[in-house]
Amino acid sequence: MFYDLHMHSCLSPCAENEMTPNNICNMALIKGLDLIAVTDHNSTKQLPACAEAARNIGIGMLFGAELESSEEVHVLALYRRLEAALSLQPWIDAHMPGIPNDENYFGNQLIMNANDEIIGKEPQLLIVSLTATLDECVEEIHRTGGKAILAHVVDRKNSVTTQLGFIPPDLPYDGLEIKRPEQIKEVIARNPWIKENETEWLIDSDAHTLIDISEAVNEISEDTVARLWGDLQ
Amino acid sequence: MTIQQLIEQTGWKPVTKDADVTKEINGAYCSDLLSWVMGKGQPDQAWITVQSHINVIAVAVLREFSCVILAEGAHFPENVISRAEDEDLVLIESDLPVFETARKLIELGV
Repeated sequence: MFYDLHMHSCLSPCAENEMTPNNICNMALIKGLDLIAVTDHNSTKQLPACAEAARNIGIGMLFGAELESSEEVHVLALYRRLEAALSLQPWIDAHMPGIPNDENYFGNQLIMNANDEIIGKEPQLLIVSLTATLDECVEEIHRTGGKAILAHVVDRKNSVTTQLGFIPPDLPYDGLEIKRPEQIKEVIARNPWIKENETEWLIDSDAHTLIDISEAVNEISEDTVARLWGDLQ
Repeated sequence: MTIQQLIEQTGWKPVTKDADVTKEINGAYCSDLLSWVMGKGQPDQAWITVQSHINVIAVAVLREFSCVILAEGAHFPENVISRAEDEDLVLIESDLPVFETARKLIELGV
């Protein structure tokens, strides 16, 4: 299956308004992807519309969010079931710092229905660090039945590498996300205790625009998906 | 100056029990991005930060810092303190913001 499990909808202030539930699913379909996930910053509120759009359009979807820990490390929470992903929201709400969004500076945070109609706006700024440590984020993701994937692990911004120097060996994460396959070598050079063959590697786009959604180049086996998230059916 | 002298003259609390406070402090380094600290910290410096993740201990040992000062009234978690004690690394907590903590060190001649 061709996949891309990290992209932002128009709920993320930094994403383009064209990133609507239907546009995302249709573009992913055109690109030949089989499995996608919408992972907005610190929010699951776009997921109900995305789930309906994915079902209507006929593309596989996991449900998630990109959490930012108090150390300013980004970690993906990915779930097989919509309801499980939504069950993370009260915990997120309890750990938001409560900073209002300035649309003119950060961009708007649009919540849509399955017809791509705006049904609300998130008033709190989403690109913030939660008042929960990385350990606490991973623990809560697991408690709600999700998988914790450390996001863009060698990026220069908000990665575990920039913030914490290296991947904490005792952190019970489920996978590591990179942008390109050759980054596996870089991750292992910086974290020599990591075994290439014993690690789940995801190569995602982190798209904020339609054009940046991955082409059909990165494959994940149904076995791997089933091992991480159970049977998709 | 030594860590012991710093503690006596500032009133800041060492949170590690048995770690060696007779070490000399030569200069200080301020940053919360551990990737930068790993690349730029120098031996015997006091490291001022608001970062209290357990990776702080490994980075401080790697750079041979004299001690780590956690500013802004933040607290080190228990597991971090015990890891520091294993490594004989002194952890200190300061109520002052990072800039004021650094100013204090400068005033004391660090």
